[in-house]
Amino acid sequence: MPAVNFNPALSATLLRWVVSLLASWVLLSSSLAWAQEDLRVLVLLSDRAVPYQNFANTLKQNLPPNFKLQIVEQVNDYVEDAAVDVVVSVGVKAAQRAVQTSHPMLAAMLPSTEWTRLLSKRPKAIASSAIYLEQSFQRQAAFLRIALPQRKKIGVLYASDSPLNLAELGKKLKARGATLIEQQSSDHSHLFDDLEAVLLRSEVLLAVPDTSIYNSNSIRNILLESYHQRVPLVGYSQAYVNAGALCAIFSTPAQLAAQASTVLLDFAQTQRLPAAQYPRLFSIAVNEGVARALGIAMDTPDILRLKLNPLEEGR
Amino acid sequence: MKTRQITSAMLLCCAAEASYAAEAMSELDYYQDLPVVLTASRLSQPLSEAPNAMTVLDHRMIEASGARSLTDLFKLVPGMYVGYYKGSQAFVSYHGATDQYARRMQVMIDGRSVYLPPVSAVNWADLPITLDDIERIEVIRGPAAASHGANSTQGVISIITREAGSWAGKRVSWTRGNKGINDVSAKFGQRGEKLDYHMTLAYKADNGYDNLSAPPNNLPLTFPQASTLLNNSYDSNQARLLNYRADYHPNGVDNFDLQFGFNHDVQSVGFVDKNPTLLNPLSTNGNPPHDLFANSNFVQFGWVHQFDNQSELNLRYYHINQEQHEAFPVYLRGVYFAGPVTQSRHTRRDEIELQHTLPFNTNNRLVYGAAYRLDHVSGQGDTPPLAKRYASSDNSNEYRLFAHDEWRITPALLLNMGAMFERNALGQSNNSPRVALNYHVTPQHTLRIGSSVAYRTPSLIEQKFPSLQPGDLFVPNATVNSPGLLPERLVSREIGYLGEFPDWTSSLDVRLFSDQLSQGIFVSAARTFLNGVEARYQGLEMTLKHDFSPDSELTFNFAHETASSNGVVLAAAGNRSMVSQNPWNSDILAASTPRNSASVLYAHRMSHDFSYSAAYYYQDALQPFDRGAVDYQPIQRRMDVRFAKGIQAGDHSKGEVSLVLQNLFNQGNSEYIASNVFNRRGYVTFTLDW
Repeated sequence: MPAVNFNPALSATLLRWVVSLLASWVLLSSSLAWAQEDLRVLVLLSDRAVPYQNFANTLKQNLPPNFKLQIVEQVNDYVEDAAVDVVVSVGVKAAQRAVQTSHPMLAAMLPSTEWTRLLSKRPKAIASSAIYLEQSFQRQAAFLRIALPQRKKIGVLYASDSPLNLAELGKKLKARGATLIEQQSSDHSHLFDDLEAVLLRSEVLLAVPDTSIYNSNSIRNILLESYHQRVPLVGYSQAYVNAGALCAIFSTPAQLAAQASTVLLDFAQTQRLPAAQYPRLFSIAVNEGVARALGIAMDTPDILRLKLNPLEEGR
Repeated sequence: MKTRQITSAMLLCCAAEASYAAEAMSELDYYQDLPVVLTASRLSQPLSEAPNAMTVLDHRMIEASGARSLTDLFKLVPGMYVGYYKGSQAFVSYHGATDQYARRMQVMIDGRSVYLPPVSAVNWADLPITLDDIERIEVIRGPAAASHGANSTQGVISIITREAGSWAGKRVSWTRGNKGINDVSAKFGQRGEKLDYHMTLAYKADNGYDNLSAPPNNLPLTFPQASTLLNNSYDSNQARLLNYRADYHPNGVDNFDLQFGFNHDVQSVGFVDKNPTLLNPLSTNGNPPHDLFANSNFVQFGWVHQFDNQSELNLRYYHINQEQHEAFPVYLRGVYFAGPVTQSRHTRRDEIELQHTLPFNTNNRLVYGAAYRLDHVSGQGDTPPLAKRYASSDNSNEYRLFAHDEWRITPALLLNMGAMFERNALGQSNNSPRVALNYHVTPQHTLRIGSSVAYRTPSLIEQKFPSLQPGDLFVPNATVNSPGLLPERLVSREIGYLGEFPDWTSSLDVRLFSDQLSQGIFVSAARTFLNGVEARYQGLEMTLKHDFSPDSELTFNFAHETASSNGVVLAAAGNRSMVSQNPWNSDILAASTPRNSASVLYAHRMSHDFSYSAAYYYQDALQPFDRGAVDYQPIQRRMDVRFAKGIQAGDHSKGEVSLVLQNLFNQGNSEYIASNVFNRRGYVTFTLDW
């Protein structure tokens, strides 16, 4: 007898598959129906400074017109209102205020260390997520690898109270064949001794956001000293590159806002917020004059980006 | 009670908030505005983009060379000749040995032109600067009037001192060696949020050269020769100097810098060779041993302003003041006159320059500007034995307009075009154009082809040669005795190649050049100055650099040069100054140009803060331009070594002990004058930083 094998396990799998497909169709249509309703988004800016305004403007442009967007330009002007589906905080100050609300929140444009600290103060039951301001160590390491492949000793000068996870950075650099050269800055009066010490051992100085070391007053002499020692500085903003850093990888407020808008669109559909994430969109800037003066052959930002993308996908 | 609790709770809260804020990173750290620090004028041009052949001596090389005098560093520049008339009277020239008043190179310190009238030469001993003050030296080989102004006919030495903010702390340094070497310096610097400054105080002394112990070049000495063989027993030098530099940067767009300096120098000058002897009882010596005193000072002010469009305005003003005087006895036809004969000279220079750097886009940048200079020279002398008094005073002014465009036609092709128009101190107008094309065959390999024209204004001494020349100083004549002098003109053509070999951590810089001098100035039979020298210099220069490791590097320089001139014709016409003293070469300019010269510098930094370096110099034989046959300079070889050990003297203080041995193998080194014997010498330096 030609046997028709009936496999009960397979049929059960098929059945489950059909059921789940049906279920997701029902869910999807219901959420789509919900999305067509107005999502009420409150955007809370830390203050009226330009980066926050840029963020708010881009977010407004990227969201569909049926989203109800309310922008509060200063933390102090914020009065909690129940008629809000999600709060988008922009900056640290706004995030500090938003964690105190009972609304789901998306904290944008804040350092990851800050978010970890704030999240511990917030009930787990309320949906919370963040889009960090800084690039992941993974990306920074990959960027250094493609931008300056010959330079493998990466110096970092940090303050004693720095919340930076240097061990993690060191691991990521090692994975890319580079070494982290750490130098703690003991106190302000000996900043330049410590800078000199790290420059002597390094081939690149990676600036970290720490105003006790890098600020608009000290940056002049830091850049002069690093140029004097012929150790290029890699910064973390366009301003750094304009000032004299060799290159930088960073995300603009507009890029962070674009990422926030995709999170909100998802939220409108799923009512879920993803895990906190590093910037997806980023910019690269190169100071050609500095590269030439230091005799460093640099790719253009576009080429660096092209080279960086496959590296990032491979992680 | 309750109120107090609330208050203290609030205070605690505030305190917590404050410490929290101090720790927290904020997005504003990322988006903060920063001043533009590394501006176009601060960034040095890479060699592969420069419109000229250029040698850069950075502070590492300066230290590794072990050099104690600034001029010795130029031995590391291919094709450069460094000579000394006396222990502290150095001159630096290119294209062979000149007379002791080398005046065909532009020399600048932070843009301040330090070749001074009346001779238009540099008094190297009088510069208020120590080697430790120098950030780097850029030497342009070949004319660069378009970018560096007038008188850069043979080349430009541009000394760039450390910015005030590039160093802070306190440093004392003490050097002791044989040959009377005794140097002390103290340095203090501070960085601030808006103001940086540093200051150096130094004392520097040595006894100059060793003396000849036997006739040079195995020549039997006869009186005429001996009379040109200057005894260098009296060539010690003592300098006391001070310099100060402050940078004030009140905001992100303005930078003001103020510099001033002072140097008090006492040199032993004069000779005993011409003193009356039993054999020559009626000899005249107008320059017996005595001291020459010099006081030089300067003040310089600069302002750099950044505009929003990335353009930059640069204003510079400086004032240089130099006063020299001497008093000495003389022998006149065998008779001693206690005198004293006195001479003094005073030179002042004021210059203001305004320059605008305008980037049209990332590929095209224009630098243009104007400068105005005022020179004043006055001098007087009194020679009682001859009952002669003489004095002169001269004011001259000149201005120049310049423009220089750097155009990156394609990423591989860079065109540098520039010109300078000047109205010189004699009221003559000159136009000095330059064009150079750099082609990056690949980013690592660059070809450069260039041509330029430059002029040298006749010096005041050439127009108004002193009527009497006792002592060491030239006091210009009150009247023009060489009228109608025209500027010397140099046309230069070159082809260069620069290669980077990253796999071998090496680079190579080679150039072929042909420089044509016309209207060259010489001393005529009638003891006046005339235009009339035509000369051609051709050759090859190269620099090879190789890093054996990040801690050990080698630099090798080589130059091969030939010269030909109408010197024979001028000599045949009775111009004694153009008669070659070299029996094998009757062309005086060809004879004074070393055919081959080379230098090697190797430096190695080891663990435990120990480092050593060695420099080796080679120069083919030559006949110094205006010296007798007795001063024929045979092949020169010299090896210098330096050993240094760093010492950690505490958390924030450190020291270094170094030993330098110059002419380690005692290879019979002499410079320009046969009696300038440079035997092995050594010195130890202790440095403490805190």
